[in-house]
Amino acid sequence: MNQLLTEREGAVPASVRSDLEHVFRSAYPKVVGVAARVLGSRDEAEDVAQEAFLAFGRSSVPAGEAVGWLCVAAAHTALNHLRSGRRRASREEAATDGGHSTAPDVADAVVTLDERRRVRAALSRLPRRQAIALVLRHSGLSYAEVAAALELSPGSVGTTVRRAESALRKELGHASPE
Amino acid sequence: MPHPSDGLLRRLVDEPDGVADADREHVTSCGQCRSRLVEAEADALLVESALRFDVEPDVDAAWIRLAGAAPVAVPVRNRRRFAVRSPVVAVIGVVALLGGASAAAAGDWLQIFHTEKVAPVTVDQADLVALPDLSSYGAMTVEERPNVRSVEGANEARRITGLPTPLVKELPRGVTGQPRFVVGNRMKAIFTFDREKAEQALGQPMPEPPAGLEASQFSLTAGPGLAAVWSEARGVPALIVGRVKAPAAYSTGVPFETGLDYLLTLPGLPATVADQLRSFTNATTLPLLVRSATQVSFTTDVNGTPATVLASRDGAVSTVVWVEKGHVNAVGGTLSSDEVLGVARNLRWKQ
Repeated sequence: MNQLLTEREGAVPASVRSDLEHVFRSAYPKVVGVAARVLGSRDEAEDVAQEAFLAFGRSSVPAGEAVGWLCVAAAHTALNHLRSGRRRASREEAATDGGHSTAPDVADAVVTLDERRRVRAALSRLPRRQAIALVLRHSGLSYAEVAAALELSPGSVGTTVRRAESALRKELGHASPE
Repeated sequence: MPHPSDGLLRRLVDEPDGVADADREHVTSCGQCRSRLVEAEADALLVESALRFDVEPDVDAAWIRLAGAAPVAVPVRNRRRFAVRSPVVAVIGVVALLGGASAAAAGDWLQIFHTEKVAPVTVDQADLVALPDLSSYGAMTVEERPNVRSVEGANEARRITGLPTPLVKELPRGVTGQPRFVVGNRMKAIFTFDREKAEQALGQPMPEPPAGLEASQFSLTAGPGLAAVWSEARGVPALIVGRVKAPAAYSTGVPFETGLDYLLTLPGLPATVADQLRSFTNATTLPLLVRSATQVSFTTDVNGTPATVLASRDGAVSTVVWVEKGHVNAVGGTLSSDEVLGVARNLRWKQ
């Protein structure tokens, strides 16, 4: 195995950044979380996260900006998957019916599979920046982090998120509270 | 006072400390704004519930997958920067440069090194830090990248690489299921020695290099290769059986025997490593680095062909490597030395 690993290491182009593993280990769960919120599927989210890290590995993005950059890349890629219909329906079903080792999903208790599909479809119809700001915020990024990642002023993050939530509620046909 | 914006109200839901006191007090005392705040809270809750999807990914398995999917490094902790960049190229390069092939100067590429066998080179932790990085000694350009990746199955692996795939008659205990196949294309790198760069990296002057060394280019190749990988539940390889076309090096031509003495005395190459490399009497031995603190090695044979076994000192990981008909073969995994040797000695290869 050492030899094989060495062969693989030999495959490393000089351009692959040396901090990749460190960034990967610290940011991977968050990046998967972003993609999972868009896609509603663990498998697809992990695929998307892999794509994002591959792109990051070839980039010169400063390590200090890595998390925001990766989360935005994952959200973009996941939304592209939604819009281009590249999803594998069976995966979402497998993730929902317990046929896969998906972590317990609290949302399953209140959101049916059909509703989950409706949510993702509605999300894909939002303006791209609103959708990404929404997903980043609900993935736990602070307003400052969302602002930095999307090059927004911190003051406009709340506006963007609020508009996105309002639009998503309307897309889903929920009435606003009285 | 004007009513706060929707955005500010939204922030009040998530980060109230980020909202000015005056705005917070206004919302508390303004019925219209309280109503808007309730609406913002409800929308936020609805979206939170709709988007929520909790995952707890296996980061170790994901990292291994990333490393196997594309040209991505698998930097091993506590190894020298040399490993992070391109260890095979560097190791082969060191051997090629130091190996003592006596190619005469020529305008064409001359083969100066090809692998016929492997041998361990033992290094300790201090050596690992001190081993030279060839890219610090000159210019290293990777012209062809291996693009290591998973493929659909054995047929695809054979078609891409032109190599036979391994058939394991009896899997070791604890290894089950079907393997996935990983392939890599041929890799090729060109190295040119640069005295000025080397001096900068070493922080000290170097002796005058032999005539022609700086003008020579060294072409280093390896691959294609393939491997069958049986994974454990967490994605850590339980067994890997692989074959790669043996590394070789070519030169536009310098008198290597002259260069050998020069290069072996360069600062940065630990004396213990230099001595072992010097003992390689021809340019056909591929050195396998053995980390003395964590690994042991011994020589044996695989059906009559000389082989080297590397094993972790705790016995958890073992690998046997042997060279046969221009190919480097390896069987490794989270297995004992006896187990990897058992697999190696009973291997069949399907063309």
